[in-house]
Order: sequence, then structure tokens, then C-alpha cells
Amino acid sequence: MLYRLDLYRRLIGVQMRSQLQYRTAFLLDTLTTASQVVTAFLTLALILQRFDNVGGWKLPEVAFLYGMVEMAFGSMDMLFSGFDPDNFSLQVQRGLLDQLMLRPVDITLQVLGSEFIVRRIGRIAQGAAVFALGLALLPIQWTPLKLVYLPVVFASLVCFFGGLFIIGATITFWTVESIEAVNIFTYGGTEMMAYPMSIYPDWMRRFFTYIVPAIFLNYYPALYILGKPDPLGLPAFAPFLAPVAGFSVLLVAALFWQFGLRHYQSTGT
Amino acid sequence: MTPIIRVTNLRKYFRVSLRAKGLVGTVRGLFTGDYRLVRAVDGISFEVQPGELVGYLGPNGAGKSTTLKMLTGLLVPTSGELHVNGRVPWRERKAYVAHIGAVFGNRSTLWWDLPVVDSLELLQYIYRVPPAAFRRNLDEFRELLELDAFLDTPVRSLSLGQRMRADLCAALLHNPDLVFLDEPTIGLDVVAKERIRQFILHVNREHGTTVLLTTHDLSDVEKLCERVMIIDHGQLLYDGTLSGLRERFGGKRELVVDFAEDYADVSVDGVEVAGREGPRVVYRFGREDMSASQLISALSERFRIEDLSVREPDIEDTVRRIYEERLLE
Repeated sequence: MLYRLDLYRRLIGVQMRSQLQYRTAFLLDTLTTASQVVTAFLTLALILQRFDNVGGWKLPEVAFLYGMVEMAFGSMDMLFSGFDPDNFSLQVQRGLLDQLMLRPVDITLQVLGSEFIVRRIGRIAQGAAVFALGLALLPIQWTPLKLVYLPVVFASLVCFFGGLFIIGATITFWTVESIEAVNIFTYGGTEMMAYPMSIYPDWMRRFFTYIVPAIFLNYYPALYILGKPDPLGLPAFAPFLAPVAGFSVLLVAALFWQFGLRHYQSTGT
Repeated sequence: MTPIIRVTNLRKYFRVSLRAKGLVGTVRGLFTGDYRLVRAVDGISFEVQPGELVGYLGPNGAGKSTTLKMLTGLLVPTSGELHVNGRVPWRERKAYVAHIGAVFGNRSTLWWDLPVVDSLELLQYIYRVPPAAFRRNLDEFRELLELDAFLDTPVRSLSLGQRMRADLCAALLHNPDLVFLDEPTIGLDVVAKERIRQFILHVNREHGTTVLLTTHDLSDVEKLCERVMIIDHGQLLYDGTLSGLRERFGGKRELVVDFAEDYADVSVDGVEVAGREGPRVVYRFGREDMSASQLISALSERFRIEDLSVREPDIEDTVRRIYEERLLE
């Protein structure tokens, strides 16, 4: 286990060193990603000024949702970028997986260590800024449980998005043409989770409750922490399902990934 | 001796789906039976003894890469048995690859942005090479491969020849029992090719490393391999010595004679006159027709000879003929 951690650290170290070699490009990239997040939120803020609220959520409340999702997605995108379906399928075509399979260490660990996009820091930082803005403007009744639960929600979101990336990467073993379809889930899912779920049509909400349990990862924990009533009438424990949902998605993804690897070994590319 | 590679009736068939366009096509392809079966490797058997240096030849698409991928554990065979270095490669991947080395000529195993030496050190960690052994091997290889000039250069800035040398070094740092080299000299100039051949020979002789290499360059085979295997259409066509191959399929040899005079009739029974330019005549004859000495004595009885030389058929021609005329089927 220690060996694996150390190996991971070394592999990530390689990625960091390579990226910092191009300092200017790195800084520009970081700034660009960051400004995209801020621009998007500013647009939202302007719209909210006009309409006052989105589905009963005021601007600082939406900032809470939005900032949380951005921070979590950014962190995931940094940690799991080896599994980014677009990049992964390209690497597989270049024979990366064959190279990794020739080394006497775990393949998953190597894929995880094959990419680490440091410049995602920009997205995380801006997400954090939006989140902090929300916290500052909101009269949240903090309890110890809420304080403990907040980082758990964050970690669950990272697991959830990571799981989606892994599932997307695995699908590219069979087809690279459907990457766009997979991206709808990851990128579209992030986008969707940044807003209160109550604004979406019924069928969509049901899909993201029972099929892909996204609703438990951001919306319900936010209801609980912000002390808002549940307009959808789910059981009272619904806000606490975030770790269950996040972890199950990651687990399903890991199993699918193992299955995909076996498939790859029997068909090649 | 126990063979280091034992392959028995190995097969690898691929299903190539006939309508794999788009998500719908792929999903449908999972359920319907519309596919074409490609027999990439179709029942080959061979053994390799420890310390051998074997050339594995075949035209593009013959099944070379598929065989190599099965031998290195990247692909699971459709049927047949495969034991390499005491293991079943695909079943015990990690334990197996720890004791083999592999270089796939067209791609590098090194980290693109990292100086060569950092890549090598990372591999030392991955293969858990003891520091002393690592030092010893690195010192030896950097001299033989002349790595010093670019040890601190990032891999992305290396020339093809330098990259190949660095990759060879990387593949052998952990003292593998057996190394697979896929086109190790592809795209290199004559000097670079020669250096790499010398290195392969050295590792094979001094370290006793078993080597299996594929190549398109037959001078690689001529200079390195005692034994060649030829595969085409997924089947092993020939497995034996290089000289045996030449003897069996060598085609005709040529005798070039410079006569003292311009004789009118220089024909010899059973021998073709392939060319004539004044007193210089080229005879072409098969091994089954007569030996070179028989032909020479027959000629010297009738004519005065100034000079002569025998040309052996090109191995390149030989192999091309085997592929084209399907001599071995």
C-alpha cells in the first residue's frame, strides 16, 4: 500500500514537473479556466438580478450550489484526468494502455498517475470564491453535524464525478464515437447540478434521482445545510445519502472498468 | 533444457463487427451476429530455448504483432497454450512482466517530458531494481549505447535513434530473462542500426538474455539471428536456421566469369546464361543443377578464364519469394 502511494506520488510528480516546464502556458491556462468560471457565474448573477430568484433560490443560495459543484468538479478533473474520456481514448489509440500493461504495477494506479492537470487549480479557486461569497451572504445556522458533513459532501461529489469519468473512459474500449454522449453526462451533469433541482421537469429529476443519483449529491445536502424545506417530499434522510450515492457510483465505475480492461485484453484495439 | 517459450497450437481470432458505426450500431453489434472473423494467428507452435536469439519475420498483417502481444501478455489467446518464462502471460500479468523487457519500435515507454535519466530512475522504482544492480547496468549500457550525450535531455527532444537507444536501455535495466523487440531498427540510418545490433548481440551473449525480434530489415536477421521463424496468414511457414532457409529456397546462384577471349559459344548444358557483355558472362544455376565447382571445371576445360566470382542469392529476395510464391504452403 505504501509502495502504491509512493509510486502514485512519483507518477504525479512527473506530470507536475512536465507542466511547470511551460510556465507561461501554465499560467495562461489557469487564468483562462478561472475566468470562464467567473464569467459564467457573473452571467448567472446578472440574470438573477432581473428575476430575483431561480425556483425559489436567491443568488447567494445558488452561489452555494454552484461553487460546491465547481470546486468538486475541478478537483476531480485534476485527480482523475487520466480517465478523462476524450484524452483517455486518444491515449489508448496511441498504445498507452499497452505500455502500462507491460509494467509490473497496477494499471488503474498508472492511469490515475498518467495525467494530473495542475492548472485546474484555477477552476477550483474560482469555485471556492463563488462558494465563499455564498457562505458570507447566507445566514446559515451552523451545527457541528453540518460542519462535518460539508467536506463529506465535497468528497462524495468528487467520487461521483470521478465515477462518471471512469465509466466514460471504459466505454471508449468499445466505441470512441460515443464520447460526446458520455460528455453530456459529465459536463451536462455538472452544469445541471449547479442549479436547484426543483426547476427541472419531472422526468429529468426522476432520472437523476433513481438512475444517476445526482440529486443526493448537491441539491439535498444543500437543502439541509441551508435549512430549506424539501419541495419534492423525499424521506428525511435524503440529504444524508450523498456519501452512499457518490461511493456507489465510483464502485460501479470501478467494476465496469475492470470488466472493460478484461475486454481490452481479449480484443486489443 | 526447459524451453523459455512454449507455444502450442496458439490461435487468436478477432471478430470485426460489420456495422460498428455510432452508439446505436455498437449496441446492436453486441446482440446481433453480424461480424467477420479474422484469423490473425491460426494455430502456431514453437519453442524457444533460453539464450536463443530468434528473428520473427512476416509481411505486414501476417500475425507478427498479434503473436508478440500474446507473448507479452497484452492479449488473451482464443485457444492454444502459451507458457513463457514459467508463466501464462495474460493470467499472471504483473508477476510475468517483471521479468521480461519489451520495445515496440514505433512508440516509447519513457516519459515524454522527463530527462532520460529521470525516466530510467522511475523505471528502477517500478521494477524494484536494487540500487547496485541498477548502477552496474546503467554504467554498462550507457557506454555501449553511448547515452551520455543525451542522458539529461527530455525524451521529446531526442532523435529517433537516440530514443531507441534510451528505450533499449530502459527495457533491459531490470535484467529481464527475455526481451521482445518489435522493429528495433525501424527508421534508423546504417550507423545507428549497427550500434543497436551490436548492443542486442552483447546483451544476448554476455547476459544470456533470450531475444525474440521482429524486423523488416533482413540484414538485422543476417547479422543477429541463428534462427528465423516466418509467419504469414497467421501460420508458421518456416522455423529453422537462416542458412537452411537459403539452401531450401535460395533460388539460383550466379557465377560471373571474365573470359580471356570473346568466345562465340559459351553455353553450358543445364545452365542459363543470364547476361553477356563482351568477355564477361553471367551464368545462373540452381543448387539442384550443379555445384559451383562443377560449373567452373566444366568451363575451364573449354575456355581460358581470367577471373570469376560467385554471387549468393539475396536473403531479401529469398524471403520475398517465399511470401509471393507461397513456397512453404
